[in-house]
Amino acid sequence: MQYTIGERRKTKELWGKLFVLPTCIFLFVFVVYPIFYTLILSFCDYNFAFDKKPTLIGFNNFSNMVKDKQFLTALSNTLVFTIFIFTLLIVLSLAFALLLFNKKKNSWFYRTSIFMPIVVPASLICLLFTWMLADNFGIINRFLMNIGLSRYTHNWLTDAKTARWWVIIVSIWGKVGFSTILFLSGIQRISTDIFEAAEIDGAVGWRKLLYIIIPNLSETFVVTGIWAILQCLKLFVTPNVLTKGGPGNATLVLYQNIYNEAFLNFEMGYASSIAFVLTALVMIFALINMKVSRREY
Amino acid sequence: MSRKQKPLTAIMITFSLLVASLLFILPIVFCIFTSFKESIEIIKDVTFFPHMWSLVNYDYVFVRGTKYLTYYLNTIIITVSAVTITLLLSSLSGYSFAKLPFKGSKALLGVILFILAFPLAALLIPIYIMEYSLGIINTYLGLILPNLLLILPFSVFIMSGTFIDMSHELEDSAEIDGCNVPQTWWHIMLPLAQNALVVVLVSGFYSVWGEYTISKTLATKDSIMPISVALTLLKSEDWNYGVLAAAITMSIIPPITIFTIFQNNLVEGMTAGAIKG
Repeated sequence: MQYTIGERRKTKELWGKLFVLPTCIFLFVFVVYPIFYTLILSFCDYNFAFDKKPTLIGFNNFSNMVKDKQFLTALSNTLVFTIFIFTLLIVLSLAFALLLFNKKKNSWFYRTSIFMPIVVPASLICLLFTWMLADNFGIINRFLMNIGLSRYTHNWLTDAKTARWWVIIVSIWGKVGFSTILFLSGIQRISTDIFEAAEIDGAVGWRKLLYIIIPNLSETFVVTGIWAILQCLKLFVTPNVLTKGGPGNATLVLYQNIYNEAFLNFEMGYASSIAFVLTALVMIFALINMKVSRREY
Repeated sequence: MSRKQKPLTAIMITFSLLVASLLFILPIVFCIFTSFKESIEIIKDVTFFPHMWSLVNYDYVFVRGTKYLTYYLNTIIITVSAVTITLLLSSLSGYSFAKLPFKGSKALLGVILFILAFPLAALLIPIYIMEYSLGIINTYLGLILPNLLLILPFSVFIMSGTFIDMSHELEDSAEIDGCNVPQTWWHIMLPLAQNALVVVLVSGFYSVWGEYTISKTLATKDSIMPISVALTLLKSEDWNYGVLAAAITMSIIPPITIFTIFQNNLVEGMTAGAIKG
């Protein structure tokens, strides 16, 4: 080669930069710039329909938030949904992963059915659930009637309490497959030596789960936890399609609140400040999750 | 695990898995069955299985309801373009992060990792304003580019994770043979990264195919809407559930088919990405 080593490294670095350039340009325009723009907008009054330009108003958006009933409802709903969905997601997907791990033969069908909802468009599944839950021609009410439980039939989506539960159930239906994959591969990575040693020591059943499997999954808990928190806090599709935030504001979440303020009322400034709060929540929860999952056992 | 399962334990495991699987599958099967029923059967009889199999709904979607085909076509155009661009960008930048390091490339990869955790809501408002002033709201371009946000960061990880595991010897010998960097990337490295490319392709495909939030925000005209948004807006005006079920069935079959074929690659790749990320 007629190149010196130094020249060779330089051309490689140059190509390296060229190769990331398109990705960087894209991320700059669609991520970096928007983040700063949101940050600035959250301190502005900017009605996209009427105002020509954003005007700085300091912390007014944030002080208005504290008095805004819609926002407060959305915040508390989001937190309640987060607690329920997060807990159920972790518990159920750990359970599914353990079941699949212990199913020795012919697990293909079960694996496929549990994972499949991940790839099905969430909005269309919600649409499907709205008819399955319909009052008079919904298959779920009809099923209850046919097995003699007519007194449990219900107008599921117009009652605040049951509507909330169905938002939780349908959200979990669509998401639990992904966390099951993460847990399953976490369990599979625990070495067989550990299992064998534990069995010789007499750790079976619940003891094996508590003392062997869960402590060895702490890394998986961090990853799955962060993922699950993100899914909960940015919950939007399920309440949006299933209940439209209703009945009343029973299933109004922060994401929907942002959407309404920005794209129905065109209050871009105020919506940005709510988005800012949501982002802060994501970061805080992710940190808490990391601290809890990484503690020593 | 060497210990043999007791038969009772094995039966309980199978039974629990069967119940769980049915809960996931039944809604989808119900949708498929409904698409073959006539509307009287759907509203009046409300049964799970169709009494009479009828293709009337599919006839409506394909022959009379041209708007459904428009939505379907929009979804296809947006998905294919976004996934193609992602394949190109992620295999280029992933290769760079893994094999052509430069000053600050590690930090850059860290930034991309951070983006994965960023809620879309914080980005959509400025993106809307930006696209509005550029006049690309309600255009394919205006929908394709933001969709990259969903899949590009994850794909970059998958690709760089794959390239980093490949030996340097291959590159060195390619270089001695006179390949420059782009030639090495194209002729030697990309063919070896096939598995990762499949993961990027499949995960990108179903993410964009079913995407709702971005399109709901940036597509306000009927003619540009993908099927995932358009159908949810239809339901109050078209009360024909059979037709809707047919349209839904048509739009859940492609991702399910692809998932079933590539399940093993995908599961492996997704966990690898999640762990490295």
